[in-house]
Amino acid sequence: MKATVQYVPGKSAFHRLDPRSKIVFMLLVTFAILIVQNLWVAVAVLLTLVLFWGLARLPFSVVADLGKAMLGIVVFLFVVQALLYPGKTALIQPVIPRFVPFIGGRGQVTLEGVLFALLLSLRLLAMVVVLPLVSMTTPVHILTLGLVRLGLPYRLAYTVTTALNLIPILQIEAGVIRDAQRLRAFQVFEKGGFLDKLKAYPPLVTPLIIGAMRRAQLMAIAMDSRAFGASGNRTYIQDIRMRAGDWLFIGFSILYAGAIVAMRFLVR
Amino acid sequence: MRQHKGQQEPYIVFDDVSYRYPGSGHAVKKHPYVLKHVSLTIHRGEFVAVLGENGAGKSTFCQALNGVVPHSRGGRMRGRVIVGGQDTQQATVAEMAQQVGIVLEDPEAQLFTTSVLSEVAFGPENLGVDPGEILRRARWALEVVRLTGYEDHPPTALSGGQKQRLAIAAALTMHPQVLVLDEATSQLDPLGTLEVFSVVRELNEQYKMTIVMATNKGEEVAEFCDRVLVLHKGELIAQGTPREVFADTELLQRVTIRAPQVSQLALYLAEREVPADKKRPADEKHPLAAGCSLSAGCSLSALPITLDEARRGIVQLMRGAD
Repeated sequence: MKATVQYVPGKSAFHRLDPRSKIVFMLLVTFAILIVQNLWVAVAVLLTLVLFWGLARLPFSVVADLGKAMLGIVVFLFVVQALLYPGKTALIQPVIPRFVPFIGGRGQVTLEGVLFALLLSLRLLAMVVVLPLVSMTTPVHILTLGLVRLGLPYRLAYTVTTALNLIPILQIEAGVIRDAQRLRAFQVFEKGGFLDKLKAYPPLVTPLIIGAMRRAQLMAIAMDSRAFGASGNRTYIQDIRMRAGDWLFIGFSILYAGAIVAMRFLVR
Repeated sequence: MRQHKGQQEPYIVFDDVSYRYPGSGHAVKKHPYVLKHVSLTIHRGEFVAVLGENGAGKSTFCQALNGVVPHSRGGRMRGRVIVGGQDTQQATVAEMAQQVGIVLEDPEAQLFTTSVLSEVAFGPENLGVDPGEILRRARWALEVVRLTGYEDHPPTALSGGQKQRLAIAAALTMHPQVLVLDEATSQLDPLGTLEVFSVVRELNEQYKMTIVMATNKGEEVAEFCDRVLVLHKGELIAQGTPREVFADTELLQRVTIRAPQVSQLALYLAEREVPADKKRPADEKHPLAAGCSLSAGCSLSALPITLDEARRGIVQLMRGAD
């Protein structure tokens, strides 16, 4: 997975918004997406989020990379829902050929199952796209401050935002491990079959996790040594302030999320 | 020769300190303690090196100075570590952080923000220091480590030496009296190492900061340090000036530490080339030592050899001649 959701410096209107207004937007839209039941509403929501992405002047290649990263989950969703969803319009029946002993002649893929899987995939993609709209337009320390000003304890806010920082670090570490493997003629990821690649993940994931745990331990020592969490009245050299534009954006977010929820009941 | 500093009360006291990590009692039955009965004192303003092979206990020693051992690492500590009158086991790590700043080996693991300024401000922000005061401290710290002008740079864009200097600045904004460097130059190239050491020397000489540095770089120890502590399997087996420690070849072999190359050369020549009756008087400085920054820890200055003799000795040493 190449997608990174780290901050991308910029001067768009989205970048200039207070982090609180962006966080509220993200929460409202995520909640609204979760209850979308209509395929066309899901398509419309995804398209508007991509429009926001353009307004924020973020690279669309990240959207494509996020989509590729979700591909495995989407395929899994399709397989499960297409086979198990209780639909009426059979597209493929039976799934298992009749000549197969004992279980032959069973299973069906229904149109309703395929459409439901598509709906779930679009909802998932929309949720995955809305988070980077916030994280890629807001520096981490400002995002942390936004969460604190919204009432989250500093330690928890910092944990959430630090997790975002760790994704690209883990990607780089994984790249280093794979390079080291290639140097010892281990080329399964490039030339191996599906099962071979599956078996190749433990030798990649194990050192990655051990390295991540070691790094986390060192980070904890460094943070403790700088009095992390010592004071209940932590200060900040940079502060944030809600402006008129932020309140307008929150108002828009409420209307936007409200419209998505309303579609749930108006459009069948 | 660097003079031993500080005749005041000791600022750091290790009083019969032994420590073992959690769970090590079962894992390593014979030697569960990584520090064993360590007792020593360090005076304010001293520049002390801690030498030892891998696993000797250097990092544990460093982390005991600011209370990370045992508060954050757990485990069991016996004895006391007193820094500036504070017992590290009674004070919290946050309280000790205002006395002792620490710089770790891995630059990447100790920089967690997106700009140089926010990195150096992180510590004082945690303490609730006034933002105006934080900015004043940040400007001073960045000036000391020569990173003024880099305030908006992301730490990831800095070189290794710059990252470690930034880590030093991040510690300095806490206004510590002691700076601990836990193998802070082990991952740096020679230029980066020199950058870090020059900053640390300035902190020691100009700001009278006490420096405790875990390292295995003999040349830097000989040039910068007042005193050397040698750890071996958790025990303090020797301490003294760099000259005293590096002249003890048996000790160095036992703990597999390499003396500065010039000391190795001097000892080699002393054993093979120069008769004892030709030794220069102790108070007469050898012309080769004049202007040499390593002369403080060097036995060469005691030898009456010429430059040609030194060249022949170097060639023989490099060829491994007996």
